[in-house]
Amino acid sequence: MDPEAARTARDSLELAFHMSNILETGLDRHTLSILIALCEIGLNPESLAAMVKELRRESRPPPPPETVAPLP
Amino acid sequence: MEDDDQRVVDLVKELVHRLLYTSQQSNQQNPNPSYTQQEYNQALKYALRILSSRMTPSISADDDAMAESIKRRLATAGKSSEALTFADLYSKFSHKSGPGSVKNKWAVIYLLKTISEDRKVRQNQFANRISNGFLDSALAGGLPTLFDNDELNGSSGGFGKLSKNSSVGGLNDGVDDLRGSSGNVRSIRGLSNLDKSVKNRGERNSGAYSDSFSGLSENMKSWKGLGDNARGLRARENVEKLYKGGILTMSKDPENIRDMAYREFADLIKEENEVMEVVLVRDVLYACQGIDGKFVKFDEKVDGYVLPELIKVPKPTRIMVQKLCELGWLFRKVKGYITESMDRFPAEDVGTVGQAFCAALQDELSEYYKLLAVLEAQAMNPIPLVSENAISGNYLSLRRLSVWYSEPMVKMRLMAVLVDSCKVLKGGAMAGAIHMHAQHGDPLVNDFMKRLLRRVCSPLFEMVRSWVLEGELEDIFAEFFVLSQPVKAESLWREGYRLHSSMLPSFISQSLAQRILRTGKSINFLRVCCDDRGWADAATKAAAAAGTSTRRGGLGYGETDALESLVTEAAKIIDKHLLDVMYNQYKFKEHCLAIKRYLLLGQGDFVQYLMDIVGPELSEPANTISSFKLAGLLESAIRSSNAQYDDPDILDRLRVKMMPHNTGDRGWDVFSLEYDARVPLNTVFTESVMSRYLKIFNFLWKLRRVEHALIGVWKTMKPNCVTSRFFTKLPQAVKLQLILTSRKCQVLWDEMNHFVSNLQYYIMFEVLEVSWSNLSKELEVARDLDDLLGAHEKYLYSIVEKSLLGERSQNLNKALFKLLDLILRFRSHADRLYEGIYELQSRTSDSYPSRDKSRLQRPSSNKSSEPGSWLGEGRKDLTKRAGEFLRNMGQDIDTIAKEYSSVFEGFISQLPIQQHIDLKFLMFRLDFTEFYGQLRPTTGGKLLF
Repeated sequence: MDPEAARTARDSLELAFHMSNILETGLDRHTLSILIALCEIGLNPESLAAMVKELRRESRPPPPPETVAPLP
Repeated sequence: MEDDDQRVVDLVKELVHRLLYTSQQSNQQNPNPSYTQQEYNQALKYALRILSSRMTPSISADDDAMAESIKRRLATAGKSSEALTFADLYSKFSHKSGPGSVKNKWAVIYLLKTISEDRKVRQNQFANRISNGFLDSALAGGLPTLFDNDELNGSSGGFGKLSKNSSVGGLNDGVDDLRGSSGNVRSIRGLSNLDKSVKNRGERNSGAYSDSFSGLSENMKSWKGLGDNARGLRARENVEKLYKGGILTMSKDPENIRDMAYREFADLIKEENEVMEVVLVRDVLYACQGIDGKFVKFDEKVDGYVLPELIKVPKPTRIMVQKLCELGWLFRKVKGYITESMDRFPAEDVGTVGQAFCAALQDELSEYYKLLAVLEAQAMNPIPLVSENAISGNYLSLRRLSVWYSEPMVKMRLMAVLVDSCKVLKGGAMAGAIHMHAQHGDPLVNDFMKRLLRRVCSPLFEMVRSWVLEGELEDIFAEFFVLSQPVKAESLWREGYRLHSSMLPSFISQSLAQRILRTGKSINFLRVCCDDRGWADAATKAAAAAGTSTRRGGLGYGETDALESLVTEAAKIIDKHLLDVMYNQYKFKEHCLAIKRYLLLGQGDFVQYLMDIVGPELSEPANTISSFKLAGLLESAIRSSNAQYDDPDILDRLRVKMMPHNTGDRGWDVFSLEYDARVPLNTVFTESVMSRYLKIFNFLWKLRRVEHALIGVWKTMKPNCVTSRFFTKLPQAVKLQLILTSRKCQVLWDEMNHFVSNLQYYIMFEVLEVSWSNLSKELEVARDLDDLLGAHEKYLYSIVEKSLLGERSQNLNKALFKLLDLILRFRSHADRLYEGIYELQSRTSDSYPSRDKSRLQRPSSNKSSEPGSWLGEGRKDLTKRAGEFLRNMGQDIDTIAKEYSSVFEGFISQLPIQQHIDLKFLMFRLDFTEFYGQLRPTTGGKLLF
């Protein structure tokens, strides 16, 4: 993979992760990256969100959001 | 695709694992056991089921709008710094492009937003831990049951299970009871609304709240068109619990008393009004789709949408609703027109233009539907506000709706006006009518009309194109401005096609329409009459010359220049081709010349010979003459004159024609020549043209005949030695009388001859030749068949007029024919006179039969030597009879001369009155010595005094 592309991808992920934290979604970086990959494949975000919700519902109240790394 | 699928499955597996794993990790202190393999599989199955469902986002994909809404929500929630950070992050995120970046940014944002909203709902629940389990289930499936009456029981069962399950915290079979995933989504949306309303009413006491909430829940019921009281109650119960929880979250509202008072006031207003604005907005939205709403209904009597008086709404709202519903009324009208047109289409002629109009309207309507759909989707969303303490109503209020509707209203009004004015029209007339409406200064209206017109006019322009380039008239519904009529080949050009002025749209000028008409006509003429195939090449050439606009559908409204250049180009090439065919293949000029030579008696030797040969035949009564014999005579006249060297094709067309005759007609009156022009030249030489030629021919033929007769008279009367010798032998009295009579005769003949020969000269040189040279010149410059027809028409007209055969010179013409008749009468008298003289001569010689021979041999001696032999009884008697005869003849000639001179005087005095033609030279020639000019003043003087 082109290092430039890799950097862009990493940056994008980082940004998305920050946004996710601001929105208090409670997703960790890895999960988020999987979700983004699925979105990129063309899966419907609505159904993805529904899935995340449903699977989480089984769990206990989500942990407090991870500490956000300060923005570069 | 395979790879993708596999990848999706892998990713989902990973995701499920991670989701379950994280929860497990965070709940490690939880006594519940970790996930078993079976649970994992179930979760995976469930995840895949959710993913394979056909859930679609309920809002259109617009990243910026999405980001904006998130930002606002954060800001509303009092996290303004986070909102700013988010905006910053988003702008960075959205600017990432190129390889490696996230392409489907919208999806990611949407995903985050949805998950975040979900979380927030959950957090609210945690605030109220007591009801957590139940609420959770209510969130998952409680609300959707509002909308699914049929599965009422089953679903309530499902709730129980679910609530139990969720309190346990594990996944089990209960999930299978979940309804269709779309239901879930709806529930979430519905819930977020509820959530909002809970927030709004945070400070309200619960009684008032539940009242207003009942209204809301009712709204929701009717919104989905389902639901019953039981559900409503249940929902209220749920929300009441929710509301209790709400206190905790909302407790940080600023204690602004004024604000609170205002809210109270607003709620009071809401309570007073039975119908809330939300409902009205929805009704208006329905009405604008032509559907009756809950309150706003279409009233046939009023012919409009009305809000019944019974319903208690403030007057301004009522007026506003009425105003907005105008759109619905207009919509009904337009829609009604479209359906009506489409319904009667197969049975009746709607016409292609009408169909195009309907299609264009339909398109505009679908645009309108889109707007309505968006509005409807937005109707229930709250207005994003910056500060939390302001009341956030639903996104659409009546007032907002009126802003949204302002543009569609203008368009819809236009469409309704068009529908009204076009109902009875079709084809070009319809396009023209729409064009008249397009003349508008407002750019919005102008653009709209242009777009509409492009669609509407496309069939029309297609017709023009195929007509101009292919000569095809594909006009089943009589919409085109060219009309065809079934006619015979010879009148195809003149009558086959004509402009239908009412179908001519005003954006095509009359002259352009004429050119369009002629070009197509030329092609058809070439095809039908000339049997020519070269026009196709010419048309291709024209198409190439005109450029790109010749493809099917290449022309459109507003491109009048392109149309004009196409028409001009096609007309030029096709007209040129047509003239080439006319000149070269059908030899138009040669035929014109032949007509001039034979019908207009231009070929002198031929006419002379014909006159000689058919003369005796034509003196017979008309009914005894055989036209076959005359045809034979014509043939021999051709053979013996220079005409024999002419083209046999031309000679073949020359025929004898016998006109219908009355009793007493002589052959002269019915004989005429005819020229058979044949297709396609009979387009020029039509029957009416030929009948005019015939008229000219008859006149010229008569003139020739008179001339011929005068020459014949001259032959008998010219003084020669035989007569002069005879005169000397006569007695003095008789001789004097004879000389006097023959002198009179000579004078009259001379006068007549002067007239006839000058008239002949005038006709030949100043009428025929001049007109012919004009015609030749005009044929050189003629650019199309119409020019050619015009030139020929002018030629014929000038001949007819100048030959005094026209309408305006009828008196002159009558006088002229009278003169000619007088000359013929004179001829018979003169013949009789000279016959008498010869008889007298032979009588006198009869008395000396023995000497007859010798007298011829020696005339002079015979005459002088025996004058005495005339004396005696017989001779005296003879002298007396001769004197009587001569006196009678003299009198006859006198009357003819008198009549002739009076008619002639009338004729010559009328000549200067004819202002429309130039008769100066004829006048001058006839009255060269001013002999007649001097006569006239005296007679005029006599009349005066």
